[in-house]
Amino acid sequence: MTEATSSPIQLRVNGVERELRVDPDMPLLWVLRDVLGLTGTKYGCGQALCGACSVHLDGAVVRSCCTPVRRAEGRDVTTIEGLSEDGTHPLQQAWIELGVPQCGFCQAGQIMTAAALLRKQPKPSPEQVEQSLAGNLCRCGTYTRIRAAVQRAAELTKG
Amino acid sequence: MRCSSQTGPWLGALCGPCCLALWLACAAPVATQGTTESPAAPAIALPEVAPGALRAPAVFDAVPDPAQRSSALFTELARVLLHPRCVNCHVEGDSPAQGAHFEQHEPPVLRGPEDRGVVGMECESCHQDRNLELSRVPGAVGWRLPPRAMAWQGKAPSELCAQLKDPVRNGQRGLADIVEHSRRDPLVAWGWQPGFERQPAPGSQAEFAALVAAWVSSGAQCPEAEDAVPVNIGANHD
Amino acid sequence: MRAMQLGRRPFLAGLPVALGGLAIGLRSDAAGAAAPPPRGVRGAGAGFSPNVFLHVAPDGWVSVVCHRSEMGQGVRSSLPVLLADELGADMARVRVLQADGDAVYGDQNTDGSSSVRGHYDQLRLLAATARTVLVRVGARRLGVKAAECEALDHRVVHPRSGRSVDFGGLALLAEREPLPAPGAVQLRPQAELRHVGEALPLLDAKAYVTGSAVFGADVRLPGMLTAVIARSPVVGGRVLGFDEAAARAVPGVRHVLRLPDPQPPYAFQPWGGVAVVADDTWAALRGSRALMVRWDAGSNQSYDSPAYRETLRQAVRSPGTVLRKLGDADKALESAVQRIDAEYYVPHLPHAPMEPPVAVAQVTGDRCEVWAPTQNPQAARKEAARVLGVSEQNVSVHVTFLGGAFGRKSKADFVAEAVWLARETGAPVRVQWTREDDLRHDYYNTVSQQRLSAGLDASGKLVAWHHRSAFPPIGTVFGGGARPSLGDFQQGVLDVALDVPNVQAEACEAPAHVRIGWLRSVYNIFHAFSTNCFIDEIAVARGADCRDVMLEVLGPPRQITTVAELGVEQLRNYGASLEEYPVDVGRLRHVIERVTELSGWSERRRDGRALGLAAHRSFLSYVAVVVSVVQAESGKLRVDEAWVAIDAGRIVNLDRVRSQMEGSVIFGMSLAFHGSITMRAGATEQSNFRDLRLVRVADAPRAIHVEVQKSEARSGGVGEPGVPPVAPAIANAVFARTGQRVRDLPLSRVFVV
Repeated sequence: MTEATSSPIQLRVNGVERELRVDPDMPLLWVLRDVLGLTGTKYGCGQALCGACSVHLDGAVVRSCCTPVRRAEGRDVTTIEGLSEDGTHPLQQAWIELGVPQCGFCQAGQIMTAAALLRKQPKPSPEQVEQSLAGNLCRCGTYTRIRAAVQRAAELTKG
Repeated sequence: MRCSSQTGPWLGALCGPCCLALWLACAAPVATQGTTESPAAPAIALPEVAPGALRAPAVFDAVPDPAQRSSALFTELARVLLHPRCVNCHVEGDSPAQGAHFEQHEPPVLRGPEDRGVVGMECESCHQDRNLELSRVPGAVGWRLPPRAMAWQGKAPSELCAQLKDPVRNGQRGLADIVEHSRRDPLVAWGWQPGFERQPAPGSQAEFAALVAAWVSSGAQCPEAEDAVPVNIGANHD
Repeated sequence: MRAMQLGRRPFLAGLPVALGGLAIGLRSDAAGAAAPPPRGVRGAGAGFSPNVFLHVAPDGWVSVVCHRSEMGQGVRSSLPVLLADELGADMARVRVLQADGDAVYGDQNTDGSSSVRGHYDQLRLLAATARTVLVRVGARRLGVKAAECEALDHRVVHPRSGRSVDFGGLALLAEREPLPAPGAVQLRPQAELRHVGEALPLLDAKAYVTGSAVFGADVRLPGMLTAVIARSPVVGGRVLGFDEAAARAVPGVRHVLRLPDPQPPYAFQPWGGVAVVADDTWAALRGSRALMVRWDAGSNQSYDSPAYRETLRQAVRSPGTVLRKLGDADKALESAVQRIDAEYYVPHLPHAPMEPPVAVAQVTGDRCEVWAPTQNPQAARKEAARVLGVSEQNVSVHVTFLGGAFGRKSKADFVAEAVWLARETGAPVRVQWTREDDLRHDYYNTVSQQRLSAGLDASGKLVAWHHRSAFPPIGTVFGGGARPSLGDFQQGVLDVALDVPNVQAEACEAPAHVRIGWLRSVYNIFHAFSTNCFIDEIAVARGADCRDVMLEVLGPPRQITTVAELGVEQLRNYGASLEEYPVDVGRLRHVIERVTELSGWSERRRDGRALGLAAHRSFLSYVAVVVSVVQAESGKLRVDEAWVAIDAGRIVNLDRVRSQMEGSVIFGMSLAFHGSITMRAGATEQSNFRDLRLVRVADAPRAIHVEVQKSEARSGGVGEPGVPPVAPAIANAVFARTGQRVRDLPLSRVFVV
């Protein structure tokens, strides 16, 4: 493994305390995937252009491909694997109900971004949905279903 | 030298070394398109400077008239303000630009209610506290858009000057605060350490701050409102 | 319980021959008689497994093997359902296993929109065989006649008595039963396939949305190293030398290795370059970045897109090889009352799947295991064996989910790299392509120039149609020549129905300077672009409605079943015979009529919408598209709404067909608005999504309406046919909106998009 700093980095990932001996500059994406084996977060571009690597840092979206793990020290990281217990988040339910994914590769990033939106904006307007998800690319072209699924998830969310 | 047409003529004008001489000539009452009838003042030619460099304050000692000297100092420091590294974010609209030619920011981002982006696409979702080389993402502490009141895009030096001095639009800053901000602010500093093959603003932060200080101490005069598009505009950046 | 039909069922006469030459599960011995097919789903335990596709366990779980790669087209949610329906299994008790690359499965090259059309009948036969055995042993167990029994809902039932027995309870008995000969197996009547043709759920949806679906880069092996490779910027370039000191200094870097230079023809050879192999991806990326490589650019360094455009222009302005001829188009053009000429240009296009190419390989002695998101696991197996110099039997290729492919991942080059490095390092190796690698070293869809000429008589009717097409063909990557062949021209030139007495199509030569590959619908992209835009131009010139002209040019409903009618010597027809899959003008007319009706085409002048129409037959399906284009005050163009009518014959999963059409609209929009790969001094100028823009959610139409025609015709393709009509529909709509005719893609050259 890449040579570590003298002191380990402590952070919480999906609610689990982790102590990692890694280069503090290592992007969170590679910590998640290569070190922790959480492969739900994807590499799509490495330059914050596509959003496939989106995760939550203390509830806010960060693009993990360019977020050094040092920034996550002492904080909470949530990945797609930790978004819910067994796929029960309203977004995940809506995605399944509407058959949103095609190849599925971008969808974790789409969902994580949408999740942050719904937390701040439980009934987002179509415009708000587009603005928040503008940075998440889908090459298969599932956009029209993504839009519909975010609205459906808003309906499914209690309160 | 190529002019970046999208930001209006001022950008190009202020960055060309030869143009500064022209500007001073235009700023002199008689050298403009015949608005006054004062006796002709000779045009002052300042030494040429490379596009990536800033003239030092001492260079402007050659300008005899104090008001003119002060406003010339401003015109010089405005070359930094209107450089892409600054003006890409000092925009009026909802989206910053990127690159050397005011290109669309990719991915598409929006200002958001607090100038920090919208939910899920906050500035700091991608931009870190420092530049990243492999992912090419620029960064500095507190990366965000300046408020619309601090938009500089497409503005003439005269407008910029008035804007910078106006506490309503400059974040309630006095002149001394402006000097300090120029010297110390990390986002300002970024303009000269932009990372990955991005062309820095002219000169250095220290030189810029020195010009700001010299401008303030010389009376913080603003250049006259320009009423003509200068010829021979050029740009030093690419 | 639903009443069952126990009436006469269609006998399956003769042995069906699969595309690719090998009937699934059936092999011919030297004498030509069918050898008994291999039995047993690989890795399954005890139970009934009459072939390599189906397994019934004693606990009742049915395993269905999907032998085609899942890249978003929903094959895993389609073919297994077909099998289950024919078998009589309950999908709730079916699990889908992904096949390794093995000839025993027949054709696994998931390409050419052929999964359903190429395997529909054979898979039904295999499932029907299994059903026949289950019914036989079930009847025996129930003490009744087999003819009185049926397989339904995971059970063998005897309606007369109401008794039944679960599949699971019959599994071990069935395994001991001899298999009936194919001729003795009856398929269910189509109507008894309960789920086929309906909107079916996406079986893997939960895996996708919880992050548990395993894609290529998600495979982790103990001791695995990750490699990032620095590749020649110019195709055919070589490493002159490199300085590895800085790369080796990066913590975690274990090896720096120079790969062998590929020799033309390049085919699927690994692309050469210098690999940095490290403990993790970050170290490999940093190491690769720190590497200093000196390249000999080679002979393709003169490749320059604007200059090459000139080459293509010159090529279409001289006669080419005539590949289609009816009457005498040259003469008819000369004597025509009116003549219209137009040239169209489509640049190189990238695949840019969201998942860049990646592969994992492990070599132990003379054995090799590969995990890869490959569209063609058998080709990957073959390539791996070639690299190692071992028999294919020593190589296993496991197929992961593919994060998009569009044709990129049929090529085994990225697998070959992993295999080579695994052998050299003695460790399992993942080769991770960066996005820059993907965009710079793609097998691009070829670049083309089209020249179309039409001759009109006094009444405006077409008397001559002349089409010249110049593009470096795919064959160049396998050593073929620079002139498009008959096979190349089948995609949208030779198979275009034209009710025009004088028709000529000519192939013009264009040498290749990059690896040319196939991108979702391939040559149909630029052929359909040019023909559909041209029809619109003819309509405008005549002051007529594009739809009317299109239908007029197509001619009356008819089935073209001979090459003579088309004026060609040969038509590959996507691997099918013209008898089975004619050029069916009636079906194309029908989707044009449907889509124009759905979109309110006739009302467009009144409501002020700018609509564009295009239609195309490809991969044996018929698709017509209408788009509505709007323009903001800033001048920015948007596709506001889109309508798609598709006739793909018999379909399996209606919802996946719809999603493929929705996705095709977005895919077509991307290529129309943004798609462009350009070269300067032989090297690709684009590197990431900053300079290769793609359609994003805010650009997507408000609504995409899809109408899938109900049809009992033989299945046509679905994955690709939606793409070709989209760009021309957009260009035609842009003309309607702005009055500006764009003949050169992408539209971003001229408009803000």
